[in-house]
Amino acid sequence: MRAARRRGLEAACRPRVRAGALLTDGTEAAGGALGVEPIAPSRLRPAAPAPPAETVHTPESHLRHPLRLAREMVGALAASRSLAWQLALRDLRAQYRQSLLGVAWAFLPPVVLAAGFTLASRGNVIRVGATDIPYPAYVLLSTVLWQTFVEALNGPVAGVAAARSLLARVAFPRESIVLAKLVEIAANLLVKLVLVVAVFWWYAVPVAPTVIAAPLALASLVLFGTLIGLLLAPFGLLYRDVGRGLALLTGAWLMLTPVVYPVPTAGTFATLVRWNPVTALLVTTRELATTGVVSDPARFAIVTAASLLGLLVTWVVFRLAMPFVVERVGS
Amino acid sequence: MDAAVTLRVERVSKKFCRALDRSLLYGVRDVIGELTGARRSADTLRPGEFWAVRDVGFALARGEALGLVGANGAGKTTLLRMIGGLIRPDTGAIRVRGHVAPLIAFGAGFDPVLSGRENVFANMAILGVATRDIHRRFDEVVDFAELGDALDAPVQTYSSGMAARLGFACAVHTDPDLLLIDEVLAVGDARFRQKCFQRLARLREGGTAFILVSHNAHAVLNVCERAVYLRAGELVCEGPTPDVLLRYEADDFGAAHDARGRLELPPKAPGESLGVDVRAVFFADDDGAPLAGPRTGAPATLCVRCRVTRPVRDASLTVVVNGMGGDAERVLHLVSSADRQSLSIPTGAVELRVRWPWCGLVPGVYGARVVVREGMTPLDTVESFRFTVRSSDVVGPSVYHQPRTWSVVPIGS
Repeated sequence: MRAARRRGLEAACRPRVRAGALLTDGTEAAGGALGVEPIAPSRLRPAAPAPPAETVHTPESHLRHPLRLAREMVGALAASRSLAWQLALRDLRAQYRQSLLGVAWAFLPPVVLAAGFTLASRGNVIRVGATDIPYPAYVLLSTVLWQTFVEALNGPVAGVAAARSLLARVAFPRESIVLAKLVEIAANLLVKLVLVVAVFWWYAVPVAPTVIAAPLALASLVLFGTLIGLLLAPFGLLYRDVGRGLALLTGAWLMLTPVVYPVPTAGTFATLVRWNPVTALLVTTRELATTGVVSDPARFAIVTAASLLGLLVTWVVFRLAMPFVVERVGS
Repeated sequence: MDAAVTLRVERVSKKFCRALDRSLLYGVRDVIGELTGARRSADTLRPGEFWAVRDVGFALARGEALGLVGANGAGKTTLLRMIGGLIRPDTGAIRVRGHVAPLIAFGAGFDPVLSGRENVFANMAILGVATRDIHRRFDEVVDFAELGDALDAPVQTYSSGMAARLGFACAVHTDPDLLLIDEVLAVGDARFRQKCFQRLARLREGGTAFILVSHNAHAVLNVCERAVYLRAGELVCEGPTPDVLLRYEADDFGAAHDARGRLELPPKAPGESLGVDVRAVFFADDDGAPLAGPRTGAPATLCVRCRVTRPVRDASLTVVVNGMGGDAERVLHLVSSADRQSLSIPTGAVELRVRWPWCGLVPGVYGARVVVREGMTPLDTVESFRFTVRSSDVVGPSVYHQPRTWSVVPIGS
């Protein structure tokens, strides 16, 4: 009680001064008037051990200083790791929290697709050739691989579009958006694999020991998708056509990829399918996981090497294009 | 660059294009130019372009605060975005030493479904804080934001004030070398704003330099000792904040305070006038003699001299007085119609007056907004009439002046 009264008294006596009677200067009165700590000009502080690094922004093209560019890219990648992890956590949590079915959304699409094609095939509506493993397991595994590729393809475009307002306001390493998407893809893939394992067990599908190499081939498939997505992402921020075109493209692309049918052997269609780079990557992954016999290792090696190289080039394009794109979309 | 200098802006320009289709096309061309390593002919305008920022240069030392003032579209935000490294300059160079953090529209990057706790991690990571450091500072951030039990509730259940507090708390706990503050200090209640100012003061003592963009002259005056005034992308003047603000206000409102505390306004173009044009605002004593400013406890009359071209029967005068503090708190809000006074204004030169039998304001500097209305329609507005209240006596720590008499009265038993 007494303490409370004393506090009250102190509050009343606290000098809430509109400065002294002689004050005429606006700045001083302002500081005193609100009891705000006046902000003193920089005082002598213990000298920092080393001055922080200097960044220079000029109009000059970054390609004129390739070494500096390479250093910046490596630095950005290192700085992206913890941010990408946080972004992925945020998006995954949000994705599953505001949803009744939650994790089910990861494996519902392949299940529906696989069930549909299995029924169509059994009812002789469509005719697919013989597959190495029971057809439902074949379609399910292939669909999971295909959708992982599509997620990798859409990831950078969708991620950059979703981060639009953030991109216009904060200069965080842009690579983190793409990395976060890769983490998300990996998480969704793990959920789907549970389903694949269950179906394989049900149909007693034999699995070759080469399955341990399958993740590498799968990584190659994801990298190829990311490569294309990364190239399109900056332009997707400028033009909405990119997003729409991508949806159309993936629909047509699925037809040219042996996902619901085995690899065709003769005819023009077979040539088209064989020249489709996704075929080499997807089929190799599937073969490593099931039969253990890789039918076209040369093509796989070429596509993988090309996508690794291409990814590096695309990364440079992405990195250099982003400031110009951000400039045009405003905040 | 000198280690004591945090930022150096050297003859920086930026051009923009208003037409969207053309702007996007230029964007694609710029990207292609960048990718082919071509040197852009950046100092000429392409069709449809204009200079958003033109040849601007200044420097900022460690721990210094710089105000950036100018009308809407003067290029303040564009300049800030170039300094922040979001967009590239078209000419010139910007050198920044250390980490730059934007103090942006609160809670950019907040996900409404996630809890405050989860959003702190994502938001601070975006602002460039390592996860380890977020863990270390987490309690401090949460304390600052004053969320209490709401910390684990989804952000979409927060009031706008709570979300703003959390956003600000994240932003000011990033320990930047240069903090870019764009029009955000006007959020939250007065007490929280004061806390923000205190936190900013502490950051500054630690060597953080600031750039503050604000329409609010008072905020700039309180935080920054130096200011830069931009008009249509060009630097008009740079120097001590009070001088720069005077120049800005003189330009922006066409108004100039003279040495005797009188505000003179230029005549309006015939098309702009609504019948009543304010030409001067000043204080006068009871004899009608002009005063440099009112004295605490003494009578004062605020005179609003107008040029009237048509009679107005149902007129009213509004005077809003703000302190010049960090949050520019409102001190007086006087409206003639609220006092049931109907003013009838004849044509010619007329003075609208409001007499204070005694001035209750304590000594200090104030800004007044003066509006003449017909019914509810504003006829003319003076945005900022600045005046100084003086006193011949010591006022003490009172917040306002209470006229009073003291006495001892014996009461018979």
